[in-house]
Amino acid sequence: MACTRARRPQAAAAAAALALLATACGGSGGGSGGGETLDVWIMEGTHPDATAYFDRVAADFREQTGARVNVEFVPWADAHDKFTTAIAGNTLPDVAEVGTTWTPEFAGAGALMDVSGRVGSTDAYVPGLAEAGTVDGALYGVPWYAGVRSVIYRTDVFEDLGIEQPTTWKELREAALTVSEERDGMTAFPVPGDAVYQTLPFVWGSGADLATRSDGSWTSGLDSPEARKGISFYTGLATEDGLSSAGAATWMETDLQDNFIAGDVAMMIGGSWTPAAMLEADPSLEGKIGAFPIPGPDGGYSPSFLGGSHLTISNTAEAPDLAWSYIELLTDDENARRWAEATTYFPGKEKQLEPYTSSDDPLVRPFAEQMSEAGRGLPATENFGKVQGDKVLEAMLQDILNDEATVEEATSRAAGEIEQILNKDS
Amino acid sequence: MADSLSTRQAEDPGAPVGAPAARGTGAPTGGGRPRLSARTRRRALPWTLLAPGLAVIGILLLYPIGRVVWLSVQDYGLDNVVSGRSDFIGLDNYARLLGDRYLWTVALPNTAVFAVVAVAGTVAFGTLVALLLNTLSRFARTAVLSCIMVAWAMPAVSGTYVWVWIFDVDDGLVRRVLQTAGVVGPEGYNWFAERSAFYAIAALNVIHHGFPFVAVTVLAGLMTIPRELHEAALLDGAGAWQRFRNVTVPTIRPVFAVVTILSTIWDFKVFAQVYLMPGGSGGNRDVLNLGVWSYVRSFANQSYGLGSAIAVLLTLMLLSITVVYLRTLFRDEELR
Repeated sequence: MACTRARRPQAAAAAAALALLATACGGSGGGSGGGETLDVWIMEGTHPDATAYFDRVAADFREQTGARVNVEFVPWADAHDKFTTAIAGNTLPDVAEVGTTWTPEFAGAGALMDVSGRVGSTDAYVPGLAEAGTVDGALYGVPWYAGVRSVIYRTDVFEDLGIEQPTTWKELREAALTVSEERDGMTAFPVPGDAVYQTLPFVWGSGADLATRSDGSWTSGLDSPEARKGISFYTGLATEDGLSSAGAATWMETDLQDNFIAGDVAMMIGGSWTPAAMLEADPSLEGKIGAFPIPGPDGGYSPSFLGGSHLTISNTAEAPDLAWSYIELLTDDENARRWAEATTYFPGKEKQLEPYTSSDDPLVRPFAEQMSEAGRGLPATENFGKVQGDKVLEAMLQDILNDEATVEEATSRAAGEIEQILNKDS
Repeated sequence: MADSLSTRQAEDPGAPVGAPAARGTGAPTGGGRPRLSARTRRRALPWTLLAPGLAVIGILLLYPIGRVVWLSVQDYGLDNVVSGRSDFIGLDNYARLLGDRYLWTVALPNTAVFAVVAVAGTVAFGTLVALLLNTLSRFARTAVLSCIMVAWAMPAVSGTYVWVWIFDVDDGLVRRVLQTAGVVGPEGYNWFAERSAFYAIAALNVIHHGFPFVAVTVLAGLMTIPRELHEAALLDGAGAWQRFRNVTVPTIRPVFAVVTILSTIWDFKVFAQVYLMPGGSGGNRDVLNLGVWSYVRSFANQSYGLGSAIAVLLTLMLLSITVVYLRTLFRDEELR
């Protein structure tokens, strides 16, 4: 009897333990009752807070289709890792905003859905954006918006010191030198070491290419004399002229913007979408921010990266039709206009873009000019994402800024790494 | 009973028939059947009770380890992830890894030297705090313990951002103090850019985050030491240091072993505290450790195979360090 009595609790304990385990394993799952839910990733970073905008779109979408939308905001800085991790774990959302430079990479890996059939002709879109979303003739990314970087500066500081908008590299340097001499505690022109798009205008402006393909193999122009001249000029602003700050050598683009908002920076290269975010963060900057296209070495413009975003449907999306309706809703004229107004990005369709190129808003026109006159894409290969993932250009820049390598050494190494990565699988 | 015997013989004809039969017939009046099943049950019980734990370990630890090892012998990229195809390449990843100068000159020294410094710092500081706590009154001890728990409770990510903020190169507290003291000039100095300074800050962060665990654990050990031992030593004229060395340390040596091993494991695989510091995510090639390097290789460069090989290497190193530790610390078979 004692035995049986003892056995009961033991068996019960074992059963309870097993039951605990079972519930622990079954705890996830569980769908939301009633109506489907569309998971969406939207990038966040340097543009103004977009929560209200997406709440409104979600309400409209619910009315149209009865489905809920669950928007998750993903910071740009972590987004690439998050995407590759999600592809590996099969946890991509149904709809995702994907940076134009990443679309070929993710599409090449087979993670995105071919939307050519749904889109039909791409003539309505800004050509550069549609091209960037196309791999082997199939469209994977629906152009959503575009942005370009120019020089953003403090108009009050320039007026006080009687500085004109620079039109050459020499004038840019002189303007920064003047600010540096006259304004203690203000960084004239920070050179952020963990940011690439601020560097590219100086590579492209001097006439060099990041990488070009001939006869099926890639060659990097980063170690060309032109690129070295441009990079020497750019990093020299920090290492020789002291126009940057010690901390900037490890800044990311967001740090650059934070410091500009804090009033510590006189000039920076920033996106067309950033002035609105700056004013949102500190309304007292109203009327003190201006912009001008990045000057060329001896006049004209230096090309700046023409970036933007695609909307993509994941290959694992459960309801592609629903996902497509959401993309159509986001890119219709009304929502595109409101999105452009809210973020000061440029819309992805030609017709929607017109009002901006003819605008005379001092915080819109310089960027529109930069975009139409001197916008440029990254090398069109799915492997360039790996160059970015490997932080090849950031490492080059930081080595120079931290005095660990000369411009010659650092550019040679970076060019070698780029060629190695791009030629590996192609 | 008869059934079980006959199957046994059928399966294993070479087995001596006598032994089980003798056991069976030797059974007293209770009868073979309930007795044997009681024995089986008794044997099965521990395994049944262990099963949930084993299943959890199997799912959470063994399966991922197996998967990582399997990945590490493949050339595995993003396209493999999507297609599910695998390219077996044997030990190529390991050969590439061990032949890489970066491993020997940067990643491994960063990892190992940092771990040694951080473990020594954590254990030394934690022990000092424990000794302090042991002498305090109940009220004061509770107050101090609550304070250090705050450091422990802070998530590593938040803690790292606080340290980065304190050490902000242009505007941080440390910069201002050093500049006021005249150590740093107005042009400033970027300590995140230089390897040893970078890791000094990381060590400060990790020690600050890790010492409460050591303090609390060692305190628990200290409280088990019989007062008489210290009194006897005191009567023999032993000073504070001698009492610590010859009474405290030997008595609670297993406690030190545990905190040292755990700290070593944690500090070897430190990730967030390095990755989140300026330049720590790959922009500054001089400051990656094995954990971050593995992550960058896997997820930024999408060489999941190579990244896994680094992870396996790190695991093997930790295993061997732990074994060596255990053996030297318990030479006297204290573990048994």
